[in-house]
Amino acid sequence: MSEGMGREQRCALLAEAEPDELIQLADACLGDGARLRVLVSPEVGCITAQVREPVAAERFLLGDVLACRAEVELAEQRGWAVRLGDDRAAVLAAAVLDAEAQAGRDRAADVDDLCRAVAERGHRQAEREWAELAPTIVEFEELT
Amino acid sequence: MGYSGARGGLAAILAAEDLVRRKRDHAPAPWASTEQITERFRLAVDRVMGEAGLYHEPTAAAALRQAEGDPLEAAHLVRAQRSTLPRLANSEPVDPDELIVLRRIVPAFREPDGPQLLGRTTDYTGRMLERPDGQPAPPDASPEPEPVERTDEQRQPRRFLDLLRKLDLVVDHRGENGDAEPHDITRVPARPPAARSAVLATMARAETGALVGLWYRSILGPDGDVHEVTLGEVRHGRLPLRIRHPHTGNPVTVGEFRVTEAEAIEDLDGAEEDRTKFDVGYGLCLGHNERKVIAMANLDIANRRFGRQGPLEQLLLLTTDGLDSGGFLEHLKLPHYVTFRSMVERKQAMRAAADAGMGPRVADPAGRDCR
Repeated sequence: MSEGMGREQRCALLAEAEPDELIQLADACLGDGARLRVLVSPEVGCITAQVREPVAAERFLLGDVLACRAEVELAEQRGWAVRLGDDRAAVLAAAVLDAEAQAGRDRAADVDDLCRAVAERGHRQAEREWAELAPTIVEFEELT
Repeated sequence: MGYSGARGGLAAILAAEDLVRRKRDHAPAPWASTEQITERFRLAVDRVMGEAGLYHEPTAAAALRQAEGDPLEAAHLVRAQRSTLPRLANSEPVDPDELIVLRRIVPAFREPDGPQLLGRTTDYTGRMLERPDGQPAPPDASPEPEPVERTDEQRQPRRFLDLLRKLDLVVDHRGENGDAEPHDITRVPARPPAARSAVLATMARAETGALVGLWYRSILGPDGDVHEVTLGEVRHGRLPLRIRHPHTGNPVTVGEFRVTEAEAIEDLDGAEEDRTKFDVGYGLCLGHNERKVIAMANLDIANRRFGRQGPLEQLLLLTTDGLDSGGFLEHLKLPHYVTFRSMVERKQAMRAAADAGMGPRVADPAGRDCR
């Protein structure tokens, strides 16, 4: 297993990665002819968003979010992925990358590098977003 | 077609559908791509997602295109699509305090914790119709905006309700009803008397116009369920969606989804109520739809106070779903030949009876036994 990145963190970042970069790296991982078993074929479905509202701390079901999941076995390690949306190829690739990292195979470091790149991209997007939003902070004057 | 008592007409029905397809898909105009719809008609897309109860922008955009821009028909298409999908998981309970704000205003208070962030809005400017000949020229190419210092308080500000609690100005309902399993309105229709989770879920998925109409009725109509209309807070932003990892058992974030949230403040004035305090109603829906959540927050508190004293709970649960009301209304367009013919025949029979000197049939008074 690769060092440094927790499995949940890796899954979260693979869920944010672009489909092309996932598929490209997954193809590279499988390039050595390793046997891949697809345990759960990519499946599109819903995740029900359960919310604990702040007034009475009661839970209610807000609605569903479209998602896709897959599970594979590679080098006797299971890889699992869920991504929002309906991109079956991307979620299958993410599951392959999860298994590659879990198994500590040759491309495990590349998977971690990809995750770090995704995290960095998210950080930059958040910076850009805030740079656009910050000028809209307002302080209305109070009439007395 | 139990109402219709008619059959046939298949060729005309197919021709009519074909007319829709040809006029819609082959109009002499550029194709409206999914990206066009999601980027330029985001509020319509968000409304469809909220009323359909399924968050996926491309699906809502495709539905809007297929429905020729009719949001209710689009929500119908999305809900039908959703009904074919398996439920992969229930999320871990989402904490709205984790919302990353894209917009956040606190109309009740000038200096709340965190910023008053207008975000993307034309709320404060006059709106005049613009009819450009083509796509407006792009803005001047500006360099990458300079990074602006940001803090957690700015992106995830404390909610106004927390301030009211700190000042001991609000009734605290936390823990009153334990931690009951939420009602799933997609599996079991909500009927009065219903748990609050059912009412909140119903309003979150309600047709926007129906909810706003009911809110306005509650102010100006005969029921008077909404008294003081003060808005505590409105937010639009992103929330993380987490599920349990099947191998580790730990929560894992699988993405973010946008919501709109509102808190409405009600001035308690009932004989049984603590008049030294306020109470707060809550609204939350998928996507960006401020009108809907403001109405929802006001109706939440109104329903908790008066829902079962009058018709409000029944109205909320049974009349605000767009597919229910719209579906019933639309079915009236189907052939009702037999239904109406039977009505005509009853009228004719009554007239014949009157002509024969039998007089009109008068219903027996209530409570009188049949003979």
